[in-house]
Amino acid sequence: MLTALRAAAVVEASSLLLLVANLLTVHVAGVASLVGPLHGSAYLVVIATTFLATGARPARLKALIPGVGGLLAVRAARVDGRRDDLYVDD
Amino acid sequence: MTKVVLSVHVLAAILFIGPLAVATSLFPQTAVRAIAGQGSVLTARLLHRVTRGYAVAGLVVPAFGLATAGRMDVIADPWLIASIVLVVVAAGVLVFLILPRQSRLLEAVESPPPTMTRVEAGARQLMLAVGMFNLIWAVVTVLMIVRPGSTTGA
Repeated sequence: MLTALRAAAVVEASSLLLLVANLLTVHVAGVASLVGPLHGSAYLVVIATTFLATGARPARLKALIPGVGGLLAVRAARVDGRRDDLYVDD
Repeated sequence: MTKVVLSVHVLAAILFIGPLAVATSLFPQTAVRAIAGQGSVLTARLLHRVTRGYAVAGLVVPAFGLATAGRMDVIADPWLIASIVLVVVAAGVLVFLILPRQSRLLEAVESPPPTMTRVEAGARQLMLAVGMFNLIWAVVTVLMIVRPGSTTGA
């Protein structure tokens, strides 16, 4: 579950970077309309995987932060894992 | 570009919601069989994992669906609003009924000694939720195709 969260977090952050970079430079409409929903999907997947992976409140709240929430949640979940709080998938 | 976004939406619906329909439908009888010694509990556990994993992946469907709707300017159409409400209900059924009942049933199968009546009652409850879930998706699919009140397309 942590692997899925990490992947979704990377997509969430990088797709937002790509969107902003596109907006500030060439501003191709096609990029925005494709990467936009991709970023939206990643944001939702980050929240869902975090809620499945851990019951810890700090990690769950961090997952809700747009853009970097996933990366923060990965870090928080890892810390929780050391405290044996993390839901370990078999 | 609308066509690409719409294609991703439809593809995601087929690839992610399809397996959800199969896994949720097979789970109850698999759990009952496992306890009767006619199958492995591993199969039931796998179906539970598939349900959970594809539930998360399924989030791609509304994300690209809303993007498509925005581009096609149909977001305020009654058929779409009805579909959105139904999908929210389906998501609620999945997250608050199907997934918890599946894990409770798994616990009942795995905790010795598992009682047949308890498992069967749990399976029946679960089947009810699964039926609701799949019926909602069938209705939403028809709504997406027929689009009652829409003047565009067939």
